Amino acid sequence: MAAVLEVQGLSKKYPKRENFAADKVSFTVNEGEIFALIGPNGAGKTTTIRMISTLIQATEGDALVAGHSIVKEPDKVRENITYLPDEAGAYKTMTGINYLEFMASLFAKDKETLDKFVERGKAICGLGDRLSDKIGGYSRGMIRKLLLARAVMTEPKLAIMDEATSGLDVINALEIRKMIKTLAKEQNMAFLLSSHNMLEIEYVSDRVGIMTGGKLMVVGAIDELKERYSAANLEEVFERVVKNNEVR
Amino acid sequence: MKFGNLLKKELRELITKQAIISMVFTMVLLIVMGQIMGTAMEESFDTSTITLCNQDDSDFTANVLKKIDESQGTSINYVTFESDDYAAELERLDIKSAVIIPQGYGDSITEKKEPATIKYVSTMSTAGIASSMSTLSGADVINEIQTVCMNEIMSENYGLTAEEIALIREPMNTVEYTVNNGKTAQVSASALSAITMMQSMIAPFAIFFLLLMASQMIMTAISTEKIDKTLETLLSAPVSRMTVLSAKMVAAVISALLNALFMIVGFAFYMIGMMGSAVNEISTAANEMPGVDMSAAAEGITGVGQAMAELGIALTPVSYVLFALQLFFTIAIGLAISLILGAMATDVKSVQTLIMPIMIAVMIPFFVTMFTDVNEMSTVFKVIIYAIPFTHTYTALTNLMNGDMIIYWAGLAYQIVFFAVCMFLAVKMFTTDKLFTMSFSAENMNKKRKGKTVES
Repeated sequence: MAAVLEVQGLSKKYPKRENFAADKVSFTVNEGEIFALIGPNGAGKTTTIRMISTLIQATEGDALVAGHSIVKEPDKVRENITYLPDEAGAYKTMTGINYLEFMASLFAKDKETLDKFVERGKAICGLGDRLSDKIGGYSRGMIRKLLLARAVMTEPKLAIMDEATSGLDVINALEIRKMIKTLAKEQNMAFLLSSHNMLEIEYVSDRVGIMTGGKLMVVGAIDELKERYSAANLEEVFERVVKNNEVR
Repeated sequence: MKFGNLLKKELRELITKQAIISMVFTMVLLIVMGQIMGTAMEESFDTSTITLCNQDDSDFTANVLKKIDESQGTSINYVTFESDDYAAELERLDIKSAVIIPQGYGDSITEKKEPATIKYVSTMSTAGIASSMSTLSGADVINEIQTVCMNEIMSENYGLTAEEIALIREPMNTVEYTVNNGKTAQVSASALSAITMMQSMIAPFAIFFLLLMASQMIMTAISTEKIDKTLETLLSAPVSRMTVLSAKMVAAVISALLNALFMIVGFAFYMIGMMGSAVNEISTAANEMPGVDMSAAAEGITGVGQAMAELGIALTPVSYVLFALQLFFTIAIGLAISLILGAMATDVKSVQTLIMPIMIAVMIPFFVTMFTDVNEMSTVFKVIIYAIPFTHTYTALTNLMNGDMIIYWAGLAYQIVFFAVCMFLAVKMFTTDKLFTMSFSAENMNKKRKGKTVES
């Protein structure tokens, strides 16, 4: 399978800070693969994701998205990705349908594609008639569903999601996880996730990368990591890598 | 297409139903206030009816009152005061003021040959400008009685004819000229001021509101994206940051223009309503001054307009274009600064704090140019005031009217340079990490300040 994302020694150092927020991070995500970055707060997950999303500039290194460099061709990169930040909001004065139409218009090259994106978004979010209501009146869960639909309706090569199911109840979270798996499998869409929820990551991801102190310590398939660390679950692997700095 | 959609989205965010209702309400409020004030002032100026209590039974007084009653446009409303408790009498008669001619008024002038006493009683008005106008109106009433009295004395005591009296009253015929920038026109300076007064008040008011509105709009547009956490989603979409930035700026200008339009229309009606009567009075008084060319007075405003053209202070279409050019750069500078400040906001409180520097920079030249001529100030103050880029637009109309083109062009050049620097910084901020890493939190500032106080 071809790599959709190739991260090559990506580093970020913020001004007035001694340490690198992300330090020579390298990994790949293939077509149809769900890759998760996990780590404690301040590990450098969001910084890495923001660099790949072209929101902030890398101090060193590069990443290729569908063959386009985030340093040299950020515009091309943005055509191939969607990014769903943690605790992201939507425009409160718009209706749900207006929001989907507006976001689709930034990706679609013609009216036909725009309509297709919007129809997809409507079906994925499952908000039904509430799509005609102003977003200002939505619950946190409804906004998250709308944003998730927005992130996948344009069929990006790589969907980047920070805490994809935050704010959703158990049933809705489960639906989203299933949706991510289906999209990856059936449409060959690649996902780069970041989450603190180990159960979710274990359920949904094909491979994980564990980060701490800005460094990517370990990368591997979940079963492989469990075997490597003789651990019962991902949480145990996480604890040994992060707490004990045990790298195998 | 992307720019159009972004612009539509920004306009939808800025021009909400609530915003339109608020704009219309402000405009209507200003119009209504203007009408109320205008009516109050017209009532104050009204000297056509004199409320008078005559306690003197002399022939002289009867004659004077008869002459006033016969004179054009003035009539006497006779009342009788039953006591010296003026407050009670005004209330009983339901009047606001009255002239009292006491017993012995006529005898004092005709027999004793001494100045007589006349009394004027009025209720104190607390309606701001209207109250001062009311005082002027009282003085006019006394003046009118005095004039008739003087004519009567000259005629009865000294046997002068009407022509002789007229000569004594107006022994010379003054023709008033106003000079400006080496040009001369036969016009009263007071009449000119009365006409230019409204113009010089509306333009700074419009600049003031337009600037504040535009700055507030762009600041809200940027900070709301950050606070509501929609900015990251938007900027990770396939649309350049410059397109996002341009859409926000254009939307801010459009909504600011709309806001300013409602405000200016409201203010113009307010000024016309409130000042209309005052301007007419001042203008008429100036034209009727002894010595003013009466042909110009007959022509009224047209005459003053011609005089303004002769003096080179009438604004031409080119002047308006040049003024608009400076207005454009003033707004552009305001937008660029607000863009930088708005991008630093982390919450609503910090937005309110961050807009303060702009408000101060807009207000200082607004008040300074309203009350004084910047060019007449000391060099130090002049440099300080002109260092604020907005000042040049406030003074643009005056400079264009007076033909001070060097000051105008220097101001425009300064504004262009200032804008280029601000825009460079704004674009740099918007196209780099600084948009996400730079922040200003009013709450953190307060915490730091409190911390320092506790430590000390």
